[in-house]
Parts: sequence; C-alpha cells; structure tokens
Amino acid sequence: MLKRVLIANRGEIALRVIRACRELDIETVAVYSTADENALHAQLATKALCVGPARAADSYLNQDAILTAARVTGCDAVHPGYGFLSENPDFADRCVEAGLRYIGPPGDVIRKMGSKAAARTLAQSAGVPVVPGSDGPLKSIRQAKALAEQVGYPVLLKASAGGGGRGMRQVDGPKDLEGAFKAAQAEAIACFGDGEMYLEKLVLNPRHIEFQIIADTQGHVVHLGERDCSIQRRRQKLIEESPSKALTPRLREEMGTAAVAAARAAGYVGAGTIEFVLAPDGQFYFIEMNTRIQVEHPVTELVTGVDLVREQLRVAAGLPLSFAQEDVRVSGHAIECRINAEDPEQDFRPCPGRTEFLHLPGGPGVRVDTALYPGYEVSPFYDSLVAKVLVCAPTRLEAVRRMRRSLEELVIEGYPTNSALAHLIMHSPEFVKGQYDTGFLDKNLDQLLELARTCDKLSAGGSAE
Amino acid sequence: MNRFFTQRRDRLLTYQAMREGKITSTRRAPCPRCGEESSALDWSRSRQVCPRCGYHSPIGAYYRLSMILDPGSFQELEEKLEPADPLGFPGYAEKLSGLEEETGLRDAAVAAVGRVQEQKAVFVVLDSRFLMGSMGTVVGEKVARAAEYADRHKLPLVTFAASGGARMQEGIFSLMQMAKTAAVITRFQARGGLYVSCFTHPTTGGVTASFASLGDIMLAEPGALIGFAGPRVIEQTIGEKLPEGFQRAEYLLDHGFLDQIVPRDRWRAVLGQLLALHEREGWHL
Repeated sequence: MLKRVLIANRGEIALRVIRACRELDIETVAVYSTADENALHAQLATKALCVGPARAADSYLNQDAILTAARVTGCDAVHPGYGFLSENPDFADRCVEAGLRYIGPPGDVIRKMGSKAAARTLAQSAGVPVVPGSDGPLKSIRQAKALAEQVGYPVLLKASAGGGGRGMRQVDGPKDLEGAFKAAQAEAIACFGDGEMYLEKLVLNPRHIEFQIIADTQGHVVHLGERDCSIQRRRQKLIEESPSKALTPRLREEMGTAAVAAARAAGYVGAGTIEFVLAPDGQFYFIEMNTRIQVEHPVTELVTGVDLVREQLRVAAGLPLSFAQEDVRVSGHAIECRINAEDPEQDFRPCPGRTEFLHLPGGPGVRVDTALYPGYEVSPFYDSLVAKVLVCAPTRLEAVRRMRRSLEELVIEGYPTNSALAHLIMHSPEFVKGQYDTGFLDKNLDQLLELARTCDKLSAGGSAE
Repeated sequence: MNRFFTQRRDRLLTYQAMREGKITSTRRAPCPRCGEESSALDWSRSRQVCPRCGYHSPIGAYYRLSMILDPGSFQELEEKLEPADPLGFPGYAEKLSGLEEETGLRDAAVAAVGRVQEQKAVFVVLDSRFLMGSMGTVVGEKVARAAEYADRHKLPLVTFAASGGARMQEGIFSLMQMAKTAAVITRFQARGGLYVSCFTHPTTGGVTASFASLGDIMLAEPGALIGFAGPRVIEQTIGEKLPEGFQRAEYLLDHGFLDQIVPRDRWRAVLGQLLALHEREGWHL
C-alpha cells in the first residue's frame, strides 16, 4: 500500500482525500498557497508545505513546486483531486518520471480523452453512440449543409478549438446555416486563431446523465450507476442525484455497459466519469469522459456504499478493486446540493468573505463535505464552492424531504450563498416530480429568485407569525 | 440563541406561509412616504400602517369602525341619506353613482352607534375614498343628526375626520354645513355632551374649520396633515418657507391644538379609556 500521499489540491476535496488516507493509515502531505495558510486542508494533513503565492498559476498549478514538495517530503504518490492539475496529462507524466504514482489514469489516457475528436472516435470504435455529426473538420459550407440535412435540424456548429460558448452557433434551419457558419468561424479565428469547424446534432431538452466508473490495473472495469446532473446553470452543476428518474432499468443497463465499453477502450485506470446527454425519447449519446474524481462523487458513494477515494488509492497502489460489477448494488436515493459563496441576485457573482457563523446540518442520512470552519476566510482566488450538502434516504421523496430540512438547518453567515435557492428548488413541483432537463434553471430561475426576494423582504420585516 | 437562528426561523416560517397560500399575493405596494415596498399581507397586518416608516395610510370608514368597535355592537345610523345634485353640477351625478359602485358608500360619511370596550357612543367616520371625504349636505346632515342622536340618548359623540374640505360640487349648500354642524355641536356640548374629535390624514378646509376643531378632546393619528389651506397654497401666498413639519399632527400637538397623538393600533384602548373616564350620571346609558 501507499505510504505517503501528496495532495495537489485544496478545499473540501483535499480534505476528502486526507480522510480516506487517514482511514488507510497513509500519511498525507498538503500543499498550500500563501492565501491558504489557515485553510483546513493545510491544518489536517500530516504535513503541509507552502508552494507559492495566492494565484493558482503560481501555487496549485505550479508543477515544479509541487513535484519538489513531493520529493522533499518523501511521498510515493500524488492525488490531484479535481480542477487544477487533475486533467493535465503532462503533470501525470512528470509524476511518473519523478518516480511517483499518479492517482488517476496514465497521461496518455488523459491526453486522448482531453481531445473532443479523439474521445469521439474512441467511443465510436467501442460501439458507444455519439451525437450524430461530422467525423472530422468541415471542409465547406456545402458539406455542412448536407450533413445537417442528414442528422436533422437543429444543429450545433462548434469550433474545434472552441470553449465557453465562443465559436459556437445553434442553427434551427437550412437558411440560417451559411450566416451562422461564417460568424462562428470568424469568431473562432479571432479568439483561438483556428477556424476548424465541426457540426453536430443538437439534442433539445436533454438530461445530463453521467456514469461513474472505476478500473484497476488488472483490467477490471466496473460502473457504479449514474448521476443526474441536469440542474445546472451555464454548464455549472448545482444539484446532482442518483439514481436518475429518467432511466429505466433497461436503459441503465444499456448505458452502464456503454460506459464500461468506452472506459475499457480507452485503457482507463482509476476513477472516472462518462458523460452522456439523454434525449427525451430515451436515446443517449456519449459526450465526454472526465478522467478524475468529480465534485459530485459522494452521490454515488451514498447509494452504493463504495468509498471511491479509497478505491482510487488501492488502484494506485496496484491492488485490484475490492468488488466486482455484480457486487454493486444501488440502493436508496441520494441528492447533493452544491453550496457556493455567490450571490444569485447578482448573476451568481462569487462573494468571498469571512465565515462569521457556521452551523452544519446533521442527523441520519446527511453528509456535509466542507472545508469551512467558523472564522474561516473564503478566498477570492479560488472556486466559490464552500460546502456540499448530501442526503440519502430509501426513496426519492424522502431524500427530497431530508434535503429540505438539511438546508433549513444549514446556516452560513458572512457572505451570500445559493442555499436558499437550492431550498426553493427542493420545493419546485417539477423537481419534486423529477421531471426536469438541463433547461430547468434557465426556465425557472427568475421565478425562484422572485420568490426568494419576496420571502426575504417579508421575513426581514419580522412579520412572520 | 443568536440572531442567525432567529432570522433563519423567520425566513422559514414566512416561506411556509407563502407555500401554504396564507400569503396569496406577492404583490407589493410602495409606501407614499418612505417609498419602501411592502407586501399586501404586511400592509393589512399592520392595519395599513407602513411597516418600515410608520406612515398611516388612509383607510375606509367601515374598516376603521371595525377596528375600534366591540364586535357585534355596530349599528348604522341614517344609512339611507343620499346625496342630491342641488346645482346640477356638470358630471356630479355620474361621479356619485360611479363612486357608490366603486366604494359601496352612498356618501363620504358613515354614522353609527356602537361600543368601545363596553362604552356606548355615537360615531361619525369620514371616508377619503369618496370625493376626498368632502363635506356636502349628506356629510353635514349625518354629523348634525348624529350629534342630535347623541344628545337625545345622552351618549358621547366621536368623529373621525378625513377630508379635503367643503364639497365644491354642492357650492353654497356645502358651506352651509359648516355653520350647521358647528351650531349643533355647540348646543350638544352646552347641554353637557362629550365630543371627541379625531383627525386622520388629511383633514383640511371646511371640515377643519367647522365640527372637527370643536372637540372637547382633540386627538389625531401620527403624521396626519391638519389645516385649512394646504401648505403649498400658503407658501405661494405668503412667499415664505414654512417651518419643518408644519400642519402635521406632531406640530399641532407641540403648539397646543391637539391633546394626544394616537397610533392606529391604540385607538380602541385610548377611546375606551377616555369614554370611561368621562362617564357621569345621567349620561352614557
């Protein structure tokens, strides 16, 4: 087994890894930036080293500093967490070159899955359905037109170098295609210096379903069921649950098998996630693979009873998975709400600040992953996620009720958070029925915020009976 | 415990009330004085007093009586009195029927006999929704008949004024109401009757200049504008800036024109106490 693990991350995920390590009697080395001297991960690890100034590029993304820290502390493995260096193939390679075990897949796999085109080809070769579209870059507008006719409108034009919605256009009919193509291409050249374009079918009102998979070095690949991450705002997930109400047992089986096939084809090792879009007609398409542990991994842990980080550590140590596919039982229902230090009233602007008061929910079926403590200063330099509130219960409705009361117990004072919004979503009829897609928040946000505002103003007057 | 938990509980209870439909309307109305918006529920909970700044917004006559009288003691007087159009004033008749439909009132005053904390009294309440509570023949006659009723039955008289003054559509007939009401109240007082006059926002013109200013006891709601001509007219006439709070209830109290300022939720208690204190043999039967 591993002896000493360096955690190249911060916040609640660093804590999550520290906890798993402690339970396996593995020593932990935390790295921190000058802004994080008082952060909990730096306090709870066996050892903590400062690796640079507050800016992430100078500290948590500073590979040289992190590798040096691992060497001087005598670590034998590195856990990248999520974000930061977690999907950087060069870092994975450099860890291995430095004689460290990288807790995640090999650099080559990360590299392959990091490229949209390569991941798509790989999925297709494994027989996993992908969103119909162009297999390579489009050569002309005429080719784009022909392809759009073939897959059916609406379609999405995407720059291969694109990201953040730039170089991307939705096209609803043939007459808009030419203009949209030119505009998107011009934008892509201006932003990324690369005018290579792709086209794919646009799935309307989809659900975002992802499958958790884990693979060991012995060639075992197991999936641990799905998570429904359709409650999101601008691709930022807010609420996740498992199992998804949109899946029938047959569909689940089908998608799980596809996820395992894709991971196997990639030669995957460690914990990862296969993301699908699910059309309302039950057709699903592979979109990408995340080659790391994810924020929402505890949702899966709650319904399967599997400790994913522990399995990650075992796999990295060269041990086989402690269970096989047939041992995996999904029981009950789990929901996660991400609590961010942000102001929903101001377009979700991050609002760092001092935690003046903190009360976390408890009781049966409740789990809170957080690196907060009273007096802790939330730093403006990093992610605004401050806590993950999770619940599990035998049925979905019980889980929803448990989440409501958990969010009612939660008190974070000192800066605005989205917890009231999450609480309102837990009462939204569409959410309670489980009938929602990725458009849920866009559609309901204004109404929910208005409700929150009214409620705030009413209760601020002390007029509640 | 600390305030965070108190705030949390308030919020949750409010939200629950909203969910259960106890707060049916999320409609919000701004306060004319401070501009802060409050929900319809908050306005009604606070009896139309702004929850933020305490502005006493005008209320209807029946609503005011229901707030003050002992439940079940209300008995309306002279409810059949109807306004006429003695001058054939253009548009007046249409205006009257339109307002009757809109407010359910026949004219701008409601007269009644009832009890406040067991103390029986005669009431006249003006309603500013009806032509700004202006005094025409009906308002004047109701005040006069109420005073005569009080005299006959040896009861105290309580009026709530809210008025823009004499009703211009009835011309000289409304001006005559000033003399009539003043005369009948003076006679009532001379025979030992107790008259409590209450000013509400706003009371101006012929009503201030007649029965409303004749009370043995003069009360007012906080912030009420009380005067003859309005402050803007005075300023334009005399060409001088008026002092802060001029013509407001608090200013008048400071200058000895009022005996007490009574917040809306205190009327019942204050009137009950005053009527009990002034009870004497042969009266208040």
